[in-house]
Amino acid sequence: MSRVKELQKSLFGGTTSNARQFGMIFTLVAIVLLFEILTNGLTLNPGNLISLVSQYSYILILAIGMLMVIVAGHIDLSVGSIAAFVGIVVAKVMQDYSLPWFVAILVGLAVGALIGAWQGFWVAYVGVPAFIVTLAGMMLFRGGNQFIGNANTIPVPEGFRVIGAGFLPEIGPDTGYNNPTLLLGLVACVAIVIREWRGRRTRREMGADVAPMWISVIRVAVPLVVVVFATLQFAGGRVGTSFPVSGIILAVLVVIYSFITRNTAGGRHIYAVGGNARAAELSGVKLKRVNFMVMMNMSILAALAGMIFVARSAASGPQDGIGWELDAIAAVFIGGAAVSGGLGTISGSIVGGLVMAVLNNGLQLLGVGSDRVQIIKGLVLLLAVAFDVYNKKQGRFSVIESLMRPFRRDTPAPASPAEAEQERGKSPVAG
Amino acid sequence: MRNFLIRGVAAGAIALLSLTACSQRSEEGTTSAGTTEAAKGFPADSLIGVALPAKTSENWVLAGDLFTDGLKEAGFQSDVQYAGSSTTVADQQSQIQAMVTKGAKVIVIGATDAAQLSTQVEAAKAAGASVIAYDRLIKNTQGVDFYVAYDNFKVGQLQGQALLDGMKAKKPEGPYTIELFSGSSDDNNSAVFFDGAMSVLKPQIDNGTLVVGSGQTDIKQTAIDAWKPENAQRRMDSLLTSTYTSKTLDGVLSPNDTLARAILTSIKGAGKPLPIVTGQDSEVESIKSIMAGEQYSTINKDTRNLVKQTIQMVKDLQAGKQPEINDTKSYDNGVKVVPSYLLEPQIVTKDNAAEAYANDPNLAPLTK
Amino acid sequence: MSDAPVLLEMRSITKEFPGVKALSDVNLVVRAGEIHAIAGENGAGKSTLMKVLSGVYPYGSYSGQILYQGSESRFSDIRASENAGIVIIHQELALVPGLSITENIFLGNEPRRGGVIDWKTANRRAAELMAMVGLEEDPDTLIGDIGVGKQQLVEIAKAFAKNVKLLILDEPTAALNEDDSQHLLGLMREFRQRGITSIIISHKLNEIAETADSITILRDGQTIETLDIKADGVDEDRIVRGMVGRELHSRFPDHTPNIGEVFFEVRDWTVRHPIAAERLVSKNASFTVRRGEIVGFAGLMGAGRTELAMSIFGRSYGTYVSGQIIKDGQEIVIKSVSDAIAHGLAYVSEDRKSIGLNLLDDIKTSVVSAKLSKVISHGVIDQVREHRAAEDYRKSLRVKAPSVDDPVTTLSGGNQQKVVLAKWMFTDPDLLILDEPTRGIDVGAKYEIYGIIQRLADQGKGVVVISSELPELIGLCDRIYTVFEGTITGDIARADADPELLLKQMTSVKKAQRS
Repeated sequence: MSRVKELQKSLFGGTTSNARQFGMIFTLVAIVLLFEILTNGLTLNPGNLISLVSQYSYILILAIGMLMVIVAGHIDLSVGSIAAFVGIVVAKVMQDYSLPWFVAILVGLAVGALIGAWQGFWVAYVGVPAFIVTLAGMMLFRGGNQFIGNANTIPVPEGFRVIGAGFLPEIGPDTGYNNPTLLLGLVACVAIVIREWRGRRTRREMGADVAPMWISVIRVAVPLVVVVFATLQFAGGRVGTSFPVSGIILAVLVVIYSFITRNTAGGRHIYAVGGNARAAELSGVKLKRVNFMVMMNMSILAALAGMIFVARSAASGPQDGIGWELDAIAAVFIGGAAVSGGLGTISGSIVGGLVMAVLNNGLQLLGVGSDRVQIIKGLVLLLAVAFDVYNKKQGRFSVIESLMRPFRRDTPAPASPAEAEQERGKSPVAG
Repeated sequence: MRNFLIRGVAAGAIALLSLTACSQRSEEGTTSAGTTEAAKGFPADSLIGVALPAKTSENWVLAGDLFTDGLKEAGFQSDVQYAGSSTTVADQQSQIQAMVTKGAKVIVIGATDAAQLSTQVEAAKAAGASVIAYDRLIKNTQGVDFYVAYDNFKVGQLQGQALLDGMKAKKPEGPYTIELFSGSSDDNNSAVFFDGAMSVLKPQIDNGTLVVGSGQTDIKQTAIDAWKPENAQRRMDSLLTSTYTSKTLDGVLSPNDTLARAILTSIKGAGKPLPIVTGQDSEVESIKSIMAGEQYSTINKDTRNLVKQTIQMVKDLQAGKQPEINDTKSYDNGVKVVPSYLLEPQIVTKDNAAEAYANDPNLAPLTK
Repeated sequence: MSDAPVLLEMRSITKEFPGVKALSDVNLVVRAGEIHAIAGENGAGKSTLMKVLSGVYPYGSYSGQILYQGSESRFSDIRASENAGIVIIHQELALVPGLSITENIFLGNEPRRGGVIDWKTANRRAAELMAMVGLEEDPDTLIGDIGVGKQQLVEIAKAFAKNVKLLILDEPTAALNEDDSQHLLGLMREFRQRGITSIIISHKLNEIAETADSITILRDGQTIETLDIKADGVDEDRIVRGMVGRELHSRFPDHTPNIGEVFFEVRDWTVRHPIAAERLVSKNASFTVRRGEIVGFAGLMGAGRTELAMSIFGRSYGTYVSGQIIKDGQEIVIKSVSDAIAHGLAYVSEDRKSIGLNLLDDIKTSVVSAKLSKVISHGVIDQVREHRAAEDYRKSLRVKAPSVDDPVTTLSGGNQQKVVLAKWMFTDPDLLILDEPTRGIDVGAKYEIYGIIQRLADQGKGVVVISSELPELIGLCDRIYTVFEGTITGDIARADADPELLLKQMTSVKKAQRS
């Protein structure tokens, strides 16, 4: 195996979906660098990174739920309306009943869960396609938002605003940085190293090939550099700012949901249902329950996203959540999920969402109008997916390999003829 | 293996700690001027940000063009942005944030939703920028420095008066049947227009001269969501079917031109005689409509003057002077009374159009 | 035959994919008016060769020459080859279920008059073509409403509508029952009389031996030999030898059954069709399985074997009406697939690709998918245990794959089937129901699968095999039930089993009962 291939495989497992993520990470890095140059360093400036995270954390939270919905083979068009509905409910209960903000958050999550149960019921137990159920939900809860709020903008109290616009406190000795952010960065660094170390241990226990040490070093060093850089940027913003609270919420959710989707039976079942529902059912997967949970989970996350947005905007308004579903869906597909379900990862969707976010932010820093920003975002979505479709037609994906081919020393091991046949032909049976 | 682990952690920690030594964290954001007081002024070629709502009205497009030209003429760098048409609020939030990042000294904001910008306005403030609320007052934040707008209560009064005058001219004796429309409820100005108009109309309704055919006189009933013409047209369509199958409609109070034309379209579609319809903003199509005898009136709040006044404020801030203010009591945004400069609006009908727009290169030819 | 002029000659065709030579210097000579068979194991290059011929891989993407009707052809796409009269009918039929027979026959090739479809001509010609292929149906019937056998005939009629000179059939009888297969093969012989040349790709070697005039055998992307069936006296064993490159002494491994007590029994099992509620797909079916026994279920397509099996397996098909399941002397109630798995049942479906496997999975995920709980500790999937379990099966079942991390789509049919078997063996079942376990699998892999089935029986498990191939059932099973229209019509011990008796039980017994 060539070194490059080995690296690619060990980094991303070598499947096409992962390969697109690989491509998207490169795209993300390229876009970041491009804008960093075009904006004379504003893109990676602390203030901008902080606002980037707080501006897009709620969309990325939606993308987490949407990834699971799409992997299970559904779609959810109602997330924006649910977010707006929950937002207005929460703002209203705080205003009318002066509920403390943390109780209000629980109320919001509960409303989200109820809505999710409602939608999950129709999708899973009645069998109405999710597209229809959530299209209905989109209208239903948009109307609900206007009904409850009388199309007014309702402000929320200061305490509540922490989840959307809050920062970590300035504590500890004066290091010239925000100390809690530094601490977070340190935790992230340790986590990266431990993860790699445990990964190696697991591979060894399996009796599987353990990647050469140099690959592990790269796999630790590259993220470490990124994390250290990001930590210093986030910690080095204006006094009183830090890594945003909404970003921390997002990071925690990403870690939890990545773990669930990868390492638990529930996560496996989502992929099984999306990959082949009938096969999953005949393997003992409780199809209805999986569909129900996935839809319900999405609504809970939508509720959270809605509250974060309201907190950030300091008020719940009638235009909240419009178009969010499309941003979340775009992030998931750019991040490598398959339209037909069964494929995709949380981290991929986050990368996909970040590509859109950096693009949006960079273009705004350049003073490009929102009309043109939308045109560009539309094209990026189309091209990202078209690129993947094209690659699938051509056989195996490999941006890197095509870049590196001239430098390759050793030839790859030939695949068996049967394998080649399967890859090109549609039918693995006839040969 | 354990070595590997330890070495990895150590590398990360060392990198992190060694780099903390070279912090250049500023107390007041990235700006070197670093002051919250406008009085000190700032360089004459500084960046001025202008964030406007989506391009749903000609008026905003014109304002944007005027800002771009005017600021350039005054020697500033400008960044004029419109919110996207679908995700307006979120767009405007990130645009303002981007202006802050870019180090804008003054940010002029025509708010999409005046109550949802406090985080960004405060960020601007923290970064040392001044914030001018343009045309729409930004609510619930200490961060707004100035408000510049036409006197919107006056606008409403003029609209109400024009409605009455128009109907009288057509049919000397009442009672008159009318319908009321108001603007988007997330726009602070909608209520001001409406209240202004009602200050004229309410006495007439009470004494029976005016009859609101549908009985819908509450602002919540009359509001047109997002100022969208299709919403106005839809409401008018329903009113026509529900109330005016046999009755005659004499007049419609419309808060602006876009909605006025939508209302007229609806009435024309139903094949009814055209009532007196008011407007506001002096949009090209509406001037044509007025000259053709369809729409009755509009308001000339010459955007040129408003932009000119705003740019004057920016110039004053740059020079370190206190900008001119003519109202320090009326505009309470919930947490503070915002010092304001109010301009006088002018009512325009077919009779005075030529005179009113004599100086406007776009509109003057239409009035001949 | 060998004097007939050559219609098609493919000369030293080589087709490479990055890193792999799928075809290497392949030669094929087809004479006008013959039925030419192409045989080879999965992955031998048959489909690739046909794709080269039909222009799926356009001229330039391969090396070598295609001489057709005496001149060199350079097809740029399928349309080009179809215009030249070469029509390929794939195993997966390319018909639109919601359109009528006529509409499907002329799909993309509609007779027009002034830009408008000329339905009069279309219907008239459709009737002619249908008569030609022996299809008796109303031309307005929707494709979705007729059986697979008849759909196959529509495909052929469609080929004739395009003025076919060389008809290529890829596994035409794979999905057909005995009657339909015979009809189809008869049809091919009829076409030969009319001078139409056919190429047939088939795993059913007896069909080749019966029908074809000559055969070209491929192995590992190379031409092994071309034989004249009659002149060279080719029989099935001869073909097998060419395909696998060695002598297969027996098609079934030697096995001495070790049969124990009855441990699984189904009594009076009655099930309704899921949509047509008045139809019973299983009527009072009763059967038993002993430990260590391999029990066969014979029946025609649509006899209700799969339906019976699936409804027992957690009521996965139709509506349960009545019946009991007794296992180890106790009645058990199975209402869902997870119940079934918990009670030690396993069902390997007949359709690997559409309901047996998640084709997006890799091998290890597939293997553990039916009993994830075995690799979970504290709610978390233990990757080490998962990997080990899959690795064990990869080795013991000899799955040809470099690693259990490889996606299942990279495997050949036989190896995919082994993965499915591993998936169900992993659930530690007492009773395995295998539905068409060797469909679409080549000879060598079949032999291995039989071996696995026998080993399972030797471990004391009960194995139920549903198969449409009578020789397979007779060769493998200790006892065979025959099924006709949802009713079990016979229980035949291995010693008594012969095809004639089985066929009679599968068809005539019931007819006798009915009259």
